[in-house]
Amino acid sequence: MPLLKIDDKEIQVQSGATVLETAEANGIEIPHYCYHPALEVVGSCRMCLVQVEGMPKLQVSCNTFVGDVHPDRKVDGKYDMVVHTQNDLVVQERKNILEFLLLNHPLDCPVCDQAGECYLQDYSFKFGNAHSRFEENKRVRSNEYLGSQIVINHNRCILCSRCVRFTQEISGTSELFVEARGYNTKVAALEEKPLDNLLAGNVADICPVGALLSTDYIHKNRIWNLKKQSSVCQDCSVGCNVDVFSQTNQIFRLTPRENHDVNGYFMCDIGRYGFHRFEEIERVTQPMIREGDSFVSFEWEEAIQETVDRLKRAGGKVAGVTSPYHTNETNFMLGLMVDGILGNLSQIDGEEINYPSGFRISSDRSPNRNGMNDVCPGNVDDLISDIDEQNIRTIYILDDGVDRDFDEVWKSILSKMDFVVVQTYRMTMLAQSANIILPGLAPFEREGTITNDGGRVQWLRPSLPIKGESRADWEILMMALKALDNNAQIFTDVSQVMKKMGEKIPAYKDVSFFNLGDKGLSLNGIASK
Amino acid sequence: MDFLSFFIICVKVLLVFAGTLLAVLIMVYAERRVSAFMQGRLGPNRVGPQGLLQPIADGIKFLMKEDIIPDGVNKPIYLLAPVIMLIPALMTFAVIPFGSTITLFDRDIILQVADVNIGILYILALTSIGVYGIVLAGWASNSKYTLIGGLRSSAQLISYELALGLSVVSIILMSGSLRLNDIVADQQGHLLSWYVFKQPLAFLIFLIATYAETNRLPFDLAEAEQELVGGYHTEYSSMKFAMFFMSEYANMITAAALTVTLFFGGWDVPLLDEKSLGIWGAMLSVASFILKMGFFLFLFIWIRWTFPRFRYDQLMKLGWKVLLPLSLINIFITGGYLTLAALK
Amino acid sequence: MATIIKSYEPTFWDKLYIPALVKGLMVTIKHFFRRKVTIQYPDEYHIPPEGYRGLHRLNKFPEGRIKCVACEMCSAACPADCIHIIPGPSPWDEGNERYPVRFDIDLLRCIFCGFCEMACPEEAIELTEIYDFSDYTREDLIIDKDGLLEVFELTKDQKYYSRKNDSQEPQK
Repeated sequence: MPLLKIDDKEIQVQSGATVLETAEANGIEIPHYCYHPALEVVGSCRMCLVQVEGMPKLQVSCNTFVGDVHPDRKVDGKYDMVVHTQNDLVVQERKNILEFLLLNHPLDCPVCDQAGECYLQDYSFKFGNAHSRFEENKRVRSNEYLGSQIVINHNRCILCSRCVRFTQEISGTSELFVEARGYNTKVAALEEKPLDNLLAGNVADICPVGALLSTDYIHKNRIWNLKKQSSVCQDCSVGCNVDVFSQTNQIFRLTPRENHDVNGYFMCDIGRYGFHRFEEIERVTQPMIREGDSFVSFEWEEAIQETVDRLKRAGGKVAGVTSPYHTNETNFMLGLMVDGILGNLSQIDGEEINYPSGFRISSDRSPNRNGMNDVCPGNVDDLISDIDEQNIRTIYILDDGVDRDFDEVWKSILSKMDFVVVQTYRMTMLAQSANIILPGLAPFEREGTITNDGGRVQWLRPSLPIKGESRADWEILMMALKALDNNAQIFTDVSQVMKKMGEKIPAYKDVSFFNLGDKGLSLNGIASK
Repeated sequence: MDFLSFFIICVKVLLVFAGTLLAVLIMVYAERRVSAFMQGRLGPNRVGPQGLLQPIADGIKFLMKEDIIPDGVNKPIYLLAPVIMLIPALMTFAVIPFGSTITLFDRDIILQVADVNIGILYILALTSIGVYGIVLAGWASNSKYTLIGGLRSSAQLISYELALGLSVVSIILMSGSLRLNDIVADQQGHLLSWYVFKQPLAFLIFLIATYAETNRLPFDLAEAEQELVGGYHTEYSSMKFAMFFMSEYANMITAAALTVTLFFGGWDVPLLDEKSLGIWGAMLSVASFILKMGFFLFLFIWIRWTFPRFRYDQLMKLGWKVLLPLSLINIFITGGYLTLAALK
Repeated sequence: MATIIKSYEPTFWDKLYIPALVKGLMVTIKHFFRRKVTIQYPDEYHIPPEGYRGLHRLNKFPEGRIKCVACEMCSAACPADCIHIIPGPSPWDEGNERYPVRFDIDLLRCIFCGFCEMACPEEAIELTEIYDFSDYTREDLIIDKDGLLEVFELTKDQKYYSRKNDSQEPQK
């Protein structure tokens, strides 16, 4: 193993590692733009220049590899390579590079949406000169749409080519390319083939400056106003790790969060812009009981009491409908409450998309089918025949929150029911056919765990405050459970439900917020079918 | 007494009464204007020309205000106190000669409501009654502030009344009469015949004592706002408060008039025989009296807005250890001089 | 080293106090005749010195465009957290592409420190000389974009109060 010395630090590294990677892993900061861990190394920005002893010129650290050298040629008799990242030469060179990068870069940070998370801003502040010696006029170009969701501001572009490499290597669609040479160089897309693939939103994230912008977020807010909450995307069963940026009770954007076991560095546009779905839905925020053709609002106590009375009257003959959109804890609580049979609503499928880099969009667009099946082992596929057999007339449904028409099976199920309880956050078709509607939480308000199709349990954290009278879904079920059976356990927090779940379902015994952390916990396929 | 002299007395009473009340109104206005001027401000200048109608507005305000009688007060005394204070304050002016004699309807009319032969004694007696108003108000109000204010006031008045009385004794020695008309007549003629030049020490003691008697700064411990909220009248509102207010100003006017009468020749215009000029001479004498009195009233305000308040022990020290011995010495000197002059 | 301060021994003349009293009286009577400093407010207006920090305004270019680009530097700098901006794409073809759709300042929270003015990179927000902007409700004291632009029109020439003074009826 080669022994590397960066500044004053001695580091043992694997042969073949680059200097930049080693430095980053050991807490030594080397500024860089074009280098991205997921992309090919091109070494074009020159920002990561370091001095390597024995080499005549400064080297780009992202493309300098460490290897064993002959014992006679070791520096000081023991180091295979000695790197300086802080000496005068490197510092001066960084200044020069930054001055070059800023020649045509406009001073429009106040207008730029990248301000606050811009590497050019940060590095200029940290390593750059306060003044530019450039006295000519800056090059000015107008903005262009690269695709329906992506705008390029050519003035701000520093031509690091991250975005170009992204479309070539990650999405494999190659819409972007570097056009022309020298002064006229720019990133462009053909008019016939705009940047419209489902990963396009990522180019705005990987752009180190404010050149590539998502039309969804442009001129909407400033980054320092937003509260960042790490969470999990709920738009397909992959469960990409995301950061949710919100202010007061509005989400402004979602960005992917690095997790090599799930999504790597990226996320798809379905999940990225998915949060808009919940902005204009008809929310249910009050418990409601059907009277004739309309619904009347009730207090929680009355609504729960009414629900429980009906459940009691039905005796054991109650069917429960679990939901792959809800958390493990909510489904688990429903399993505790309904003694009879459990089933679920018809699955909504999308197209399964695989990218050359391995990035995947699952055909199952529900986030937690795996977990639902794990925590509710009693789930049956053929709900209608069981209902017919046992002559069940009462049903408790956890609504997906997806507004869809009923298929024949569900039409016949609902027509047989005397009493339908729907727990939902939205006035769906299903909710409209209910006798009692209990208002739960919308996806970005929920807290709990979900299990992705790879058997990884992940922590779903709430990003938005609870609206109106709504209550957490597990809490509604707990209240019903308590009203049904006075000896039922009281949970004050979702983590207590999790603990109880771990006792009942052996595969989930290690699941706790502490163990989940940001990256989740793999069940190693124990429970997953 | 015939009808005419009764009528004349009625007119004089009315004139003096109205004059005093008018002077009170003017003083209320002047106090605020002068203090504002001394502080670089303008003061009330909105009601009427130059704000001259301000005291009327103030009066209306007092009348319109809610008349509050606090819980736990001794009601008869509480109601009586302002009256006890106001009436003597207005009565004292009766013996002050404010002009020379007019000859009308073949009669010599003295410009004085009552020519009492013990005028000075009358004044000293009445001002002492006024103190009862303060003490009773302080006691009846059922409040610590008023009680302390009343106590301070009575202690202060006792201390300074001695010096006041003794300083007047030297004047009485000089004039040989308690009648104010005699005292004025004694100062007629030459300017230097005014007692202020013959008795400068007595004048100084008298002046200081009057400030203490009228509860004015620098001796206004009875109503020290910073310590006692409003002093003895803290619990009074509306017209009852206005009565205290008026009597304080009436006292000032009386004090100023008395100072003029005792030390500045009263209505005397120096080097002029007013009687020889007939009715014009009388007018001139009244004008001279008002002018002199005006100066002393201004001095009251002037001093108020110049000097800070005495501490209580300083006040007592000044009264007992300085003014009282000084006035006694002054009496001895005066008596000695007069005896020597009589022996010659 | 200890410093010995000798207390002042008053002379007989000092102990008389009369000269000191007269001196004091002279001071007040001097002031009696001095020029008065009172400004009779609704009739005449005090003109604040240059640099006075009063009501805010939003500046415009001569062509009528708002200078503000909604960068929210002012609201970030604001220690009282009283500036609320909602940005959006600007309606004008030339100039900056971003502008404030809403720009609200809560004047009751504002402490008039002028940090917003200093933070502004576009010289768009400025504190004017206006000091009398009281109102009856809390809602009326939240000034919006239109209000701020109106203030700009009023104070463009920096002579808000001198203009007001000139238009007053002469004092009687």
